[in-house]
Amino acid sequence: MSAVLEVDNVAIRFGGVQAVAGVTRSVEAGDFVGLIGPNGAGKTTLIRIIAGLLRPDRGRIQLGGVDVTSDPTAGRVRRGLALTHQIVRPFREMTVLDNVVLGAGFAHTSSPLRALLQIDRRRESERAAEILASVGLAGAERKLAGTLPLGQLKRLELARALAVDPNIVLLDEPLAGLNHTEAAKQAETICEVHRRGITVVLVEHNLEEVMRICRRLIVLNNGSVIGDGEPREVMADPVVHDAYVGGRTAAHAEA
Amino acid sequence: MSAYTVSIVSIIGINVILAVSLNMISGFCGQISLGHGAFFGAGAYAAALAMVATRNVPLALLAGLVAGSLLGIIVGFASLRVRSDFLAVTTIGVNFLFVGFVRKQPWLGGEMGISGIPATGLGASGNMIMILLLACVTVAFSLYVSRSWMGFAFRAVGEDEQAATTLGIGAGAYKLAAFGIGTAFAGLAGALYTFFTQFITVDAFDFIFSVMLMAMVVIGGIGSTWGVVAAAIGLTLLPEAIRFVNDYRLLVFGGMLVLVIRVAPGGFAAVIRNRFVRARQA
Amino acid sequence: MYYIDLAVTGISFGCMYAMMSVGLTLVYGLLRILHVAHAAVFALGAYVTVLAANATGNIALGFIAALIVTPLFSMAIYRLLYEPLLTYRPDVPMIASVGLLVLMQDAFRIVFGEQGVTFRRNALSFTTFDLSGVTVSAVQIAIVVTAFAVFLGLHLFTTRTRIGIGWRATVSKPKIAASFGIDPIKVRYLNFAIGAALAAAAGGLVALMNNLVDPAIGFVVSYKALAIIVLGGLGSVRGTLVASLVLGLVEAYGTIFIGAWLDRDAIAFLALIILLMIRPQGFTGMRTA
Repeated sequence: MSAVLEVDNVAIRFGGVQAVAGVTRSVEAGDFVGLIGPNGAGKTTLIRIIAGLLRPDRGRIQLGGVDVTSDPTAGRVRRGLALTHQIVRPFREMTVLDNVVLGAGFAHTSSPLRALLQIDRRRESERAAEILASVGLAGAERKLAGTLPLGQLKRLELARALAVDPNIVLLDEPLAGLNHTEAAKQAETICEVHRRGITVVLVEHNLEEVMRICRRLIVLNNGSVIGDGEPREVMADPVVHDAYVGGRTAAHAEA
Repeated sequence: MSAYTVSIVSIIGINVILAVSLNMISGFCGQISLGHGAFFGAGAYAAALAMVATRNVPLALLAGLVAGSLLGIIVGFASLRVRSDFLAVTTIGVNFLFVGFVRKQPWLGGEMGISGIPATGLGASGNMIMILLLACVTVAFSLYVSRSWMGFAFRAVGEDEQAATTLGIGAGAYKLAAFGIGTAFAGLAGALYTFFTQFITVDAFDFIFSVMLMAMVVIGGIGSTWGVVAAAIGLTLLPEAIRFVNDYRLLVFGGMLVLVIRVAPGGFAAVIRNRFVRARQA
Repeated sequence: MYYIDLAVTGISFGCMYAMMSVGLTLVYGLLRILHVAHAAVFALGAYVTVLAANATGNIALGFIAALIVTPLFSMAIYRLLYEPLLTYRPDVPMIASVGLLVLMQDAFRIVFGEQGVTFRRNALSFTTFDLSGVTVSAVQIAIVVTAFAVFLGLHLFTTRTRIGIGWRATVSKPKIAASFGIDPIKVRYLNFAIGAALAAAAGGLVALMNNLVDPAIGFVVSYKALAIIVLGGLGSVRGTLVASLVLGLVEAYGTIFIGAWLDRDAIAFLALIILLMIRPQGFTGMRTA
């Protein structure tokens, strides 16, 4: 059984900095991974490479055993990957429902020709409404996405990711900018998603929630993995501790 | 129907096709194209050559459509490499290149253009009816696209390409489709224009004309088919109805463009839509 | 000798393009707006130079008048047209700018006539010098000298004066500059004013060169300026200088080879499109995306 996601010796350098330095990891089906590390560690960069939004200087990405390194993002989404953005990117001119319906209809939009020949949206609308309800946005369907507050926009990001029927979701700081209560609720929703059998990889700074919900922690620093395992063990590791608290190398990287 | 009326209606029909097709590219899919005149021109010249060579009307129509679309797809590839304001500049460049190139080609008539193009045999009224039919086809197609999943995907790509790709939409393919389809209709309009005038010079397809087309799209309301149709009709009739406007055409068009963008960036369609929304909420 | 003549032509045109285009790149660098209406600013500069010179009988006064009026006009464009549109997608102010340009060009035609205006007394445009076989006109010399002086002045301004340094800081790192107490709004006005002054100088010089200002004067140069700033790397003054000179020379020499099948003015756009396909970031490769 091949892993859901395999990252093989991926590296990228820009702006004179080695943002990701030869990372090799695999994520199994059903994993609940927290990807953490100090600022500038390369977490978001790595996620974006996996999603296909950035092309690495070298390395391979595999989804379910299939090499997707040369596939564009849309292609990877069709192979079961979903992504939420650190800074939310809703389609502000569309309704909340439509934002999700679009994702739900990914079968129709596989090619322009296909899309041209299809008009019916009923099934996708129903599914979208269900998904919105599952993330706590029931009742907001008709609102324009641009009018929502941040907390709800984060849920919308999640709903859109679920709409493409993924088997693995990459969540880039889904709790950022949320207050304590909102973050806890969002974390619970993410657990729900995981319980449904979807593999979750979560980039986060909110260590409290990460420790609570993740089953596996991968720690990145200066583009390399410095810790990987059960959350409590990883956090007790002095190397990890130094990276966060000692901060000398991290501070230099940020300067 | 007087000859004058037939003439006006024909021009209106052609402008409607041009404006609606530009709206598909720039309105639906958000790819700002300020060189639509070049595709119109490519179609016109292709049709002219076809008519001179074969006198075959369907062939000329097809030639126009294909010429417009081919050039459009090439430009569409450019849209994959450069982002939106770079793209706008590129389309301006394509327009200038087209005009600059045609001016120097003796086989395309150079500065003098191509005259004495054989008539279609349908007469002025027959041409007008053909134009109106094709205009209706264009509008119907645009409305259909708008409602289809293609239109849905176009809007997503137009607003945020990257977000669209994370929903499985291959932005590149859709941009190419938008250009290919929109410019095909522009090329078709070019052929119709050739039938109508039987004499074409490259000045009719310059950047200024492209700006006027964009003005129709903006004033009508970017993305709204009916809004753009209304704007195309209105802005074509305006210089005819008001002498002042005719003499100061560019002044008025430029001024309207500026005014609408400043006051109601969504065009008149948005203004009307907002009225309805407010009325419903009242 | 002929080739050196071409070089002279190319360089003088390049200098003129540079003065014209810098204003465009400055606005883009600061606001991310393609200020297409800059061509109207250029044209206005040309018109004012001629009209003021004719009114006062002194060409220098014509230039001074242009250097006063044009920046005011340019700042007004910012205030009335762009400032309210800053929250929209960058295409929106650009289209407004295009509309303004078209409007202004027609306005020039209506107000000043289709034939344009000419200097009543212009000795310069007919004065030429013969430097060891190469013919150089006084105006060409004036253009190169002015460009040199202007850009040197600009360089000194942005590296030696407080205001200038503050301006540069705001363009590259607006938030940091603001935290140092530099007013970003004042910087914007300065940006538009300086760009306009440069364009006005270019306009006046072109008027001298051709001894004529007609409504179409801004037309082609404006779109070339667009091509130039993209080629030079949007927002980069140095890149714009390089691209301007290169274009001037390419046009001068290129007409020999390409002039048979392509209009001289279209060369700029051909170059632009080729470059964008190979290197979507332009010459100096600013990753603005």
